[in-house]
Amino acid sequence: MKILLSYLGNLKEYIIFSALIVISLLLIFQNDNVQIRFVRVIAVNVIGTIQDGFSIIPNIFELERENKSLRETNIDLSKELSMLKEAKLENLRLNQMLEFKQRTNYRVATGKIIGKTLIQTRNNITINIGENDSVKIGMPVITDRGLVGKIVATSGNYSIAQILLNKDLKVSAKDQRSRVDGIIAWDGEGKIRMKNVSKSADVKVGDLLITSEYSNSFPAGIPIGYVTTDNTLDNLFKNIEVECFVNFQTVEEVFVLKFLSEDERRDLEKKYGEKSK
Amino acid sequence: MMEYLKYAGILLGLIIIQKTAVSFIDVTEFKITPDLVIIGLVYVGIKKGKITGSAAGFAAGLILDIFSFSFIGLMALSKTIAGFASGFFNDEQKEERYLNSYIFIIIVSICSVINNTVYYVFYFQGTNLLFVDILIRYVLPTTVYTALFSVIPVIFARRRRFAR
Repeated sequence: MKILLSYLGNLKEYIIFSALIVISLLLIFQNDNVQIRFVRVIAVNVIGTIQDGFSIIPNIFELERENKSLRETNIDLSKELSMLKEAKLENLRLNQMLEFKQRTNYRVATGKIIGKTLIQTRNNITINIGENDSVKIGMPVITDRGLVGKIVATSGNYSIAQILLNKDLKVSAKDQRSRVDGIIAWDGEGKIRMKNVSKSADVKVGDLLITSEYSNSFPAGIPIGYVTTDNTLDNLFKNIEVECFVNFQTVEEVFVLKFLSEDERRDLEKKYGEKSK
Repeated sequence: MMEYLKYAGILLGLIIIQKTAVSFIDVTEFKITPDLVIIGLVYVGIKKGKITGSAAGFAAGLILDIFSFSFIGLMALSKTIAGFASGFFNDEQKEERYLNSYIFIIIVSICSVINNTVYYVFYFQGTNLLFVDILIRYVLPTTVYTALFSVIPVIFARRRRFAR
């Protein structure tokens, strides 16, 4: 200790000199002029070069801290990315729907699917719009891609719709190319078929199917799907399998078309039916 | 204590002259003036050593900085280094010789070169002037001019010595 103090005593001139230099430099760096900015740039470069040289030596504690911080940032960014992706997809869907809404001739109500069954023989969807939005039983439910189903029950703010994957829903359809008519129905076993098409009818794989004018429930021309299989069922009819345009697994938003069949037509058809019996 | 007050008085006097009268005797297009304070500083350094020399340099430089209203600390830095350098010539046996002869002029020149180099190199940072330009235009002329003025105290000292 004594030696150290004596050594420091010998160096006191240099210590005081250094202290005065440091004070002077501190005073100099308080200035904000061109010279000092230039010196600062040089100092930053020198320090940066030195730090660069030292950076090859890994600091384990620093790395661990950095790693933890990066992981946290990663989680935050992943969450943000997921939200942004979701928003982007929603934006795309809504844009498509908006485009369709502007295109269609009918008044529509936009709803969100809040409940869905897809594994039963009679599948339905629940929509978050109801009588308060002028939704009535019998109105068609569609998306910008095509037909979804038909409203079968309503309350003030909700409604239930039968979808094409429901054995009870049958839709008059026609081949857009050859104008051949048929009935679209679900077989309850995973396939949607076009029935009542005679063996000789001109229906080919890939043909588009749309709702027909004969339908009392749907306006004509709504796309339903396209033909995927076309073979003979028996001596009289074809076995036509249909792939729907609407993907019922992923559909989230729908339109309810404010369309109801005309009473006059319905009454006439009913009256004639009774008469012919 | 009285001795230190005497040195402080000398330096203060030189600072006042430096900031008031010296600007009337500037030379060359670069307005070169002698640095009278460094002459006083060298005198203090030779008399009292490195610590006093550097402390006196710092104090004198800081006062000059305050008077100049710009670049605070630069003169303090250059004068501290110059004062410290003058302290290397603090030798009791040679003190009289240093102060009364041409050696004083040489010491003033050395300290002046150090002072001016530090000052002007810092001062011209960020400009297009090269180090050689700074040396030729500012450092050497100021040193020579200061060295010329350092003859005056030597003459006075020699006269006093002969008078004794």
